[in-house]
Amino acid sequence: MKETLVPFFEPRSVAIIGASAVSGKPGHEVIKNILDNGYTGKLYPVNPKGGKILGVDVLSSIASLPRDVDVAVIILPAGATAQALRECADQGIRHFVLSSGGFAEVDEAGARIQEEIVRIVREKDLKVLGPNTSGHTSTPQGFTSTFFPQGKIRRGRVSYIAQTGNFGTHTLKYIMTGECFGVARVVGLGNKVGLDETDALEYLGNDPETSAILIYIESFKRPLRFLEVAREVTRRKPVVLLKSGATEAGRQAAMAHTAAMASPDRIVEGMLRQAGVVRILDYTHLILAGKAFSMLPLPTGNGVSFLAPSGAMLTTLSDFCDRLGLHVPPMEPDTVQRLQDISPSYIRMRNPVDIWPAAIATGVEFAYREGMEIVLKDPAVNAVVPVMMLTRESGVPDPAFIVDLAKKYPTKPILVTFSGAKECMDEYKAALEPKGVPTFQEIEQPFEVLSIMVRCSQAINRPL
Amino acid sequence: MNWIADAVKAGKTALNEYEAKRFLEGFGIPVNREMFVPDGEKAVKAACDLGYPVVLKATGEHLQHKTELGAVALNLKSEGEIREEARRLLAIADCEGLLVQEMVKGDRELVCGLTRDAQFGPCVMFGLGGIFTELIDDAVFRMAPITTAEALRMMEDIRTAKILQAFRGQAPVDREALARIIVAVGEIGCQYENVREIDINPIKVRRDGSLVAVDALVTIQAKASGVRP
Repeated sequence: MKETLVPFFEPRSVAIIGASAVSGKPGHEVIKNILDNGYTGKLYPVNPKGGKILGVDVLSSIASLPRDVDVAVIILPAGATAQALRECADQGIRHFVLSSGGFAEVDEAGARIQEEIVRIVREKDLKVLGPNTSGHTSTPQGFTSTFFPQGKIRRGRVSYIAQTGNFGTHTLKYIMTGECFGVARVVGLGNKVGLDETDALEYLGNDPETSAILIYIESFKRPLRFLEVAREVTRRKPVVLLKSGATEAGRQAAMAHTAAMASPDRIVEGMLRQAGVVRILDYTHLILAGKAFSMLPLPTGNGVSFLAPSGAMLTTLSDFCDRLGLHVPPMEPDTVQRLQDISPSYIRMRNPVDIWPAAIATGVEFAYREGMEIVLKDPAVNAVVPVMMLTRESGVPDPAFIVDLAKKYPTKPILVTFSGAKECMDEYKAALEPKGVPTFQEIEQPFEVLSIMVRCSQAINRPL
Repeated sequence: MNWIADAVKAGKTALNEYEAKRFLEGFGIPVNREMFVPDGEKAVKAACDLGYPVVLKATGEHLQHKTELGAVALNLKSEGEIREEARRLLAIADCEGLLVQEMVKGDRELVCGLTRDAQFGPCVMFGLGGIFTELIDDAVFRMAPITTAEALRMMEDIRTAKILQAFRGQAPVDREALARIIVAVGEIGCQYENVREIDINPIKVRRDGSLVAVDALVTIQAKASGVRP
């Protein structure tokens, strides 16, 4: 299956059917996106009017396309899509992105057009993404088929599969403007007449550019095949999935207890457990976990240490860890003694670490640096979360020391969160994230993300 | 004996409890000792063979929720009790005969079952069983077929997983045996498209941790629907 999807993600030549010279139109923006992303393959816009769009020569008909086009992006009204698909297929094109909406997701007429598309796809054995898709992105090739104005999409090592137009458009926009990490591939599944989540997962599972896979999905097209593929992929890479809409549809009237208790959501839950896929429940975690996978190794266990400037945080975050299945282990006597050495004696040092008295006594940077290094050395600790208290008044240390620690202890994830002045947090984020240390605005987030990573680590190492 | 094919041929919607247990026994699922008898006198004789105390149940294709119908008499200790209860049970509508069973001791009750999801196909459930099964609602599912390792993981995934450990002086549950039951139910789901659903509830845990199914329901569908995408 990988081979058949290579032209999608590594196209040597692309045709845009429905190219437009009018700025703001999808048929224009897709070309702008492709150029902005530095695509070096051949690009063939098609529009009966001919001429040039953004400096690229336009072909006046599908029939005038060369025979070597890897992918055609069809951005025409739903009603014109089937005809264009046929003509492209006659030109020998086998891979398509059907961008327009107006199919089965809209009304009966749209559903009929979609049925026709399905017939053509079967008859001519085509590979189709969509329809009603926000397109796909492949940063190693500098290629995207999205028509949502994205500008240059940063390259990274996590990939996304999304059965929603929102991800490849606005969520990706947020990641590009609000976060520092990039993406390897993004696939918007749309109405899934051809390519589905299992095809995409299989490709990404074998993709050397992809080190973690995050999925948003509304329904499984081929559950058994998904299970078979995911079962293999999850032994090599983290696979995280958010599933929406636990509907009651398709449920039989039940005579037996088993059937009565078989809610669709429970069956999905079971299948994902079986597959080693880590289920998440929050859309935001698609972004936050993506950030963590982009920057951190997976923790080798669920032992976490954190350093916080307040008793309230120490206790509430300990409780929170407990709820998340994270362990805040007692540390070795040696570790405790070393922590005690940097702290005033009236504080009883332990895990989690009450760091602020030490910060007052020895300086903010010294206390956090020493405290973090001491806990990083403890064998029971698999990951460390410093809650950095940052205000101008108390002093804002140069965040470089955290980068140094992350480099010195490369097997133990460090996730940074904050208390204090927003502007100082933003400075830390801007300084740390490009250096590979993720930061999190809210104090619960690093723990939520860590628990996802621990579950991924367990899935990868699960017994056969 | 091909219980399922015969039931389909006869147009049945379910096996009765006796047939269901014989069917499940064929897959190595441990079931209680029992005899199927037509009347009170034969029930008395069966009780002598099985040893007192016994359980007496009205059995039939359409008797699926026996407790609710008053179709179960537990802990019968004498011939008199058996005769009296037999008369009452035989009068229940749809009663095809009586099931005389050994009384199995053990406080812990588990459930294992099969359902068919329109999209996911045959799925196996494992959870906490007994009369409060749906009330407590502590169960997990997997798509069939299921590996032994997966069956063992299911045991860890229920909220009350601790009940499988040593409990009030009783031995830990025999997990290998439990895994064999779960795997077998998955196998049935894959092999027999005419089996629509299975409830093995309860699976009693004896004091020594061994397992025995004391009630079972197997429902039948004439038309196989378990086609998986």
